[in-house]
Amino acid sequence: MFEFIVRRVLWTIPVILLISSLTFVLMKSVPGGPFNSTERALIPAIKANLEARYHLDWPLWKQYLQYMKGFFTWDLGPSYTYRARTVEDILNQQWPVTIQLGLCAFLIALCVGVPLGVLSAVKQNSLIDHGSMVVAMLGVSIPAIALGPFLIWIFALKLKWFPVATWGTPAHIVLPAVTLATFYLARFARITRASMLQVVREEYIQTARAKGLREIVVNVKHAFRNALIPVSTIAGPAFADVITGSLVVERIFAVPGLGRYYVMAITNRDYPVIMATTLLFALLIVFMNLLVDLSYGVLDPRIRYN
Amino acid sequence: MALRRKKLHLGGEIERKPRSLWRDGMRRLLRNRAAIAGGVVVLAIALAAIFAPFIAPYTYVEGDVLNNYAGPSAAHPLGCDFMGRDLLSRLIYGGRVSLSAGIIGAVTAFTIGVTFGLISGFFGGKTDNFMMRFVDIMYSFPTLLLIILLMVYFKSSFSTVAVNPHSFRGILSSIDKSMGGMFFIFLGIGLTSWLGMARLVRGMTLSVREKEYIEAARAVGTSRFRILFRHVFPNILGPAIVAQALQIPGFILYEAFLSFIGLGVNPPTPSWGMMLSEGYQAMRSYFHQVLWPALAISITLFAFNFLGDGVRDAFDPRQTR
Repeated sequence: MFEFIVRRVLWTIPVILLISSLTFVLMKSVPGGPFNSTERALIPAIKANLEARYHLDWPLWKQYLQYMKGFFTWDLGPSYTYRARTVEDILNQQWPVTIQLGLCAFLIALCVGVPLGVLSAVKQNSLIDHGSMVVAMLGVSIPAIALGPFLIWIFALKLKWFPVATWGTPAHIVLPAVTLATFYLARFARITRASMLQVVREEYIQTARAKGLREIVVNVKHAFRNALIPVSTIAGPAFADVITGSLVVERIFAVPGLGRYYVMAITNRDYPVIMATTLLFALLIVFMNLLVDLSYGVLDPRIRYN
Repeated sequence: MALRRKKLHLGGEIERKPRSLWRDGMRRLLRNRAAIAGGVVVLAIALAAIFAPFIAPYTYVEGDVLNNYAGPSAAHPLGCDFMGRDLLSRLIYGGRVSLSAGIIGAVTAFTIGVTFGLISGFFGGKTDNFMMRFVDIMYSFPTLLLIILLMVYFKSSFSTVAVNPHSFRGILSSIDKSMGGMFFIFLGIGLTSWLGMARLVRGMTLSVREKEYIEAARAVGTSRFRILFRHVFPNILGPAIVAQALQIPGFILYEAFLSFIGLGVNPPTPSWGMMLSEGYQAMRSYFHQVLWPALAISITLFAFNFLGDGVRDAFDPRQTR
């Protein structure tokens, strides 16, 4: 187990290196630096000064090292669009909001989707099963950009149960979190159901029944635990998608999080913010994948030894 | 039926078998009503997209200021958008963008993934090891972030800055402009979504490579290249196509997502994602602005998912129960 953990943790190093260098190279190879505006050309001396301030006159490899050092010491320099604010200032402020939203959505998806799938599988072909699978099909088919406006219209504008947009009280979290969660809730339900149905036919389940165990013990202790393995494989990518999905959801609900800032940075071509945010998103996702893989090793002992 | 089966037995054993597997799958698919309904809807949307100029009552650019945010009327069955453009027409043309993103994205991803997987699996050894480690690392990169980065790169380096029209860059840029910004979407999706396909194809190639008929082909002196294309490739094609087709709804989602955050098609090209993005700002007063594109994309994905589930159930023997 120890070796498995070490191997898995070391694996994140090349991944982080690749992500950071790819991000860096792509953003640096965009022609026309931030100070080569065609509309309002800068005086060469001013431009040179600006470039020196942002280290744009350094060779690329040095800029990369400087950038990585800055990232890990959390000193990312000024934003190109908001000259008065540093990138880490912006990130520090938006970051907790996105994490809150993402975690809420992920927990909703997991805690509703998985039990729904189990219930459908245990009561296969019942009304509950058919009903929840239709809901799950709707869930995977209605994207967040379509679902968000519907939820706002029904629950905020017509019923007035929740605020329309922005952030602050717990009530503000509900609609965006549900919007973000729906797709993965549905996926978790579908995958849990399919994998439960497969596991239930295994011989060890028959054995457990033959031993005279109660139905609930068979379902929960013998079937459910094994059925979780395929679920845990998609849990990592699912979390990644929930976090990146907050890009649109934050825009729809005007949530002042990292996602909305990221989209604004893209529109403004604010490269330092784009780079730092991408890297931050990516690191979070790599970290979550790591956790998921480790839990996978706990769930399925065969994984540890290959 | 019994008569036909007998007749088939007279045919060559080798030729019959793959066809009967295919027929079996088709028969199962045709019995699945939900899948057929999905297929019919997909077909209808595809026809509407192809024949958009004949079906749409207006073009997607002509607008009338007096009709800004107009509700449904006899002249404009679904109303008009914020520039007074006919929503129904834009919806129909928008289907072109969504479907082509789904299909061309899938074809691009398929081409790259199959080539990569075939080479990796067939040559094995160090080549395979190196290529698969690359895939592993890329796999950890969240796809959506990668697409966003690529799109930022494409959009900034090809579209906003003046480029020499005769350079490589200029040619790509003019292709993209003539397609309303769709070219880079296809490229972005294709370049980032082939990893799963590469893994799948490699796995299948590895198992096909050990089959007797490959050994037989090798024994009679067939070249490696010919074995790869005549013997390995056709045998992995079917499952690979099915697997890729299942990804189409995902690609449609990517396009809508990109257009929604302003990295997709260039205005005035209509895309459902962009129409949603334009509409949600006026949603409080004019809900129909988001209602139609939201319905369009949901119905399309719904149909694709039903069809996809049916195809998977019909052609993947492990899934049948």
